[in-house]
This record gives sequence, C-alpha cells and structure tokens, in this order.
Amino acid sequence: MANDESPYVYDLAGAPNHQVVMPKTVPLPSLKTYLEEQAAAVAADEAKWAKAQADFEAAKAKAEADGKDAPKPPVRAVPRPDTNDMKFPAPAPATDPDLLYLQSVLGAKVEEAFQQAGELTCQVDKSAILEILTLCRDDRALGYEMLADETATHYPAAKDFAFAVVYHLTSIRRCKRLRLRILVPEGFEPESAVAVYPTANWLEREIWDMLGIRFQNHPDMTRILCPEDWEGHPLRKEYPTLGLGQRDIDFREDRSGVLMRIAMEKAGNLGINIKPPKAE
Amino acid sequence: MGMMNQPTALEHVLITTKVEKIINWSRATSVWPMTFGLACCAIEMMAAGAARFDFDRFGSGIFRASPRQSDLMIVAGTVTYKMAPIIKQLYDQMPEPKWVIALGSCATAGGPFDSYHTIQGVDKVVPVDIYIPGCPPRPESLIYGFLKLQDKIMTSSMADRYKEIFEAVG
Repeated sequence: MANDESPYVYDLAGAPNHQVVMPKTVPLPSLKTYLEEQAAAVAADEAKWAKAQADFEAAKAKAEADGKDAPKPPVRAVPRPDTNDMKFPAPAPATDPDLLYLQSVLGAKVEEAFQQAGELTCQVDKSAILEILTLCRDDRALGYEMLADETATHYPAAKDFAFAVVYHLTSIRRCKRLRLRILVPEGFEPESAVAVYPTANWLEREIWDMLGIRFQNHPDMTRILCPEDWEGHPLRKEYPTLGLGQRDIDFREDRSGVLMRIAMEKAGNLGINIKPPKAE
Repeated sequence: MGMMNQPTALEHVLITTKVEKIINWSRATSVWPMTFGLACCAIEMMAAGAARFDFDRFGSGIFRASPRQSDLMIVAGTVTYKMAPIIKQLYDQMPEPKWVIALGSCATAGGPFDSYHTIQGVDKVVPVDIYIPGCPPRPESLIYGFLKLQDKIMTSSMADRYKEIFEAVG
C-alpha cells in the first residue's frame, strides 16, 4: 500500500470509488420469488382495503354516537392500466420438454425449473452438479454437448447462500440452450465440471480468481486474470473498485545490478570515478 | 580567409557540422519502434505503420520484434498491474538511447479505467518522452507525436545522458 516516501501515492481512503455500497436485495431470477412477490403485493393491497374499511366503520360508529352525518364510504382504487410496453418478461412455469424431462429424471434434485424470456433455467442440487452435467451431455434426449459459459454471481444479501454458479449449456445438434444453476454458500467447494466439459478449466479458474469459489478436483486451481499475488477477489460486492489490489508498483528497478554496472562502465569511459551507492 | 560570404573551394565539396548533430540526425531519422501493442491503440499504430499513413517516410517503419533491436517503445493501450513488470523488463532490455511514447488516454493517464487493475499512466513504470492523447488517437496524432519526438532527439545533447553522473561528481 502507499506510504509517504513512495513517489506514487494514491489517496486510497479518499478516492470516491473506494467506497463500497453493499446491495440490500437479492436480484436472483426465480419463479418462486416472483410468485411470492406477487402474492405479497396482493396481500398488501387486501390489507390496505381491510384497514380502510375498518377505519370507515369506526368513523361511522363515532359519527352516530356524536349525532353527526355519516362519513363517505371508502372507494376501492381500481389499479391503473399498465400501458408500459417495455415490461421485463416475468418468469413462467416450466413447459419446455427439456425441463420437464430433467424434472422427471432427477426428481428432488431439481430445486426449481422455470422459463423466462424464452430461456430455460434449472436450479439443481449443488452436490449433484457433476452427475447432472453428465446427464445433460450424454442423454440422447438432451444432448447438450457444449458448455458455452460458466460463471457466478455474488449475492451478499441472501441468507442461505452467497453465490449462484451458472452453467450455460448449448446443444449444437438441437439448437437449444439450457442454464443450470446451483446456489452455494460461502466456503462451499462445488465439484469441478472439467471431468465432463474440459472447457470449464479456465472458466472455473476465472471464477476462483474473480469471486473466490474453489472447485474440487480441478487440475489447476490458480488465478488466471489477476497477478498471482493479488489480494482479494475483485468481483465480490464488498471489493472496492479502487483499493485492495491497487498499490504502488513494486518491482526491482535494477535487476541483478546490471544497470549499475553499465553506468559504472560508462562513467569509467568518460574518465570519471564514481562509487556505487551503498544500501542504508 | 577571403570574402566572408563566399564559400571556399573546399566548402563546395564538404559540409562541416558537429559530431553530436550528425549523430542526432542519424538517430532521429532511423528510430526503430518495438512491436508492442497492449490494446486497441495498437490497431491505430498498425494503421500508422501500414501503406496509407506510411510511418516509413520518417525512417521508423521497421517495427522490431525484439527489444534488443529497438529504440522506441510505443506503449499503445491500457497498462494493467499484471503487465507493468513486463513493460519494465522490456524497457530495461532496450539498448540506449531509447525513447517511450505513451499512445492514447490509457497509457497517458489510465483513461476510463479508474479501477483496481489499471495503472494510471505508464509514466509510473517507465519514463515517457511523448504523450499522445486520444481514445484512440488517429494515426495523424501518432505521426505528429513522432515528429515531436524527432525534434526532441535533434535538440538533445549527449551530455544530457550523463548529466546525473556529472552532477554526482560535482
């Protein structure tokens, strides 16, 4: 980190992008959460209406007791018609044959399956991911022969998990795509997908580098993008965009004294005797 | 001596100059850059080296693949922390005299990448002679910057190289 004697001083504490704002919500796409949110909105609307009616009854009884005119009864607000045509597509229950097939074969190992915007998502048991990937690749009815992408997302506000690791599978033969998802808590090491899809090698190294999820039985679990001595994992939400990794550039000015020797030779050619500086 | 303004017979066939000046002239007109691109600015550097803009006109079209044969390092692109030691090593491997051009906003001052992995300007790693702004700069900008570098080479003195040593001796 920067110190006062260094020629390159970063004001790390004062930098605006050193501040970290942690998210308070879990924006994980999920049919279950979507239905819960919808039900909660309906329930809140009902509770509001019930409260308005109760208030009216109380006000009416009070007005009768005081001998005044009865107050106006409440009018239930009609929801305004939604004319916004830029709506985000809502998740829908699984109807695709692939998702239904996975649900029938795997049973309880499928935690959730839904479709959204024409994309298939299947959230599965995190300890059975290798078996499920093998099934997706080898089963004749599925035949997802390519792992197009593997990545992860950090959800620090979630209670029972911290990361969602997603596998984007592609079937070239059937022109279909499938997203498998596992939810892993902090410290959990999922099984590496290299045994099924060799292309997962670098993708899982990137996940380890960027988010700090280690994978079991991975052939080479090292950093791939950041330098080997990097601190922290930059794609975590608590990582400042400027800070932990940013530091003074620390490498040897003069490797093995070669530059000093050249300078001495040059000075000698000019007839000047200089003494090499001694380290204090 | 003869007439002051009339060249003598010897001066018709000879040009008198300083050794320093002729060395500077030869250096300025044969600056060999290193083939060294870090990001998209390198595409502009390639365009400058290709036929339309023709860097060869200034004697510097010979992009060398080895730092041992090059005089000029054009840092074309974003300098990350991972790349910085490599840039420094390449600079150390270049023989004297050597010059550095920081091409583009990223190499000059970090550009838009004010983030954890980018060095805010390559001058934190190696000494820079010419800064060329732009994102990316057009080949004309690179050529203009290179002409500025030629001016700098032509006005430089060999004594400058050893100035620090002279000052240390006193």
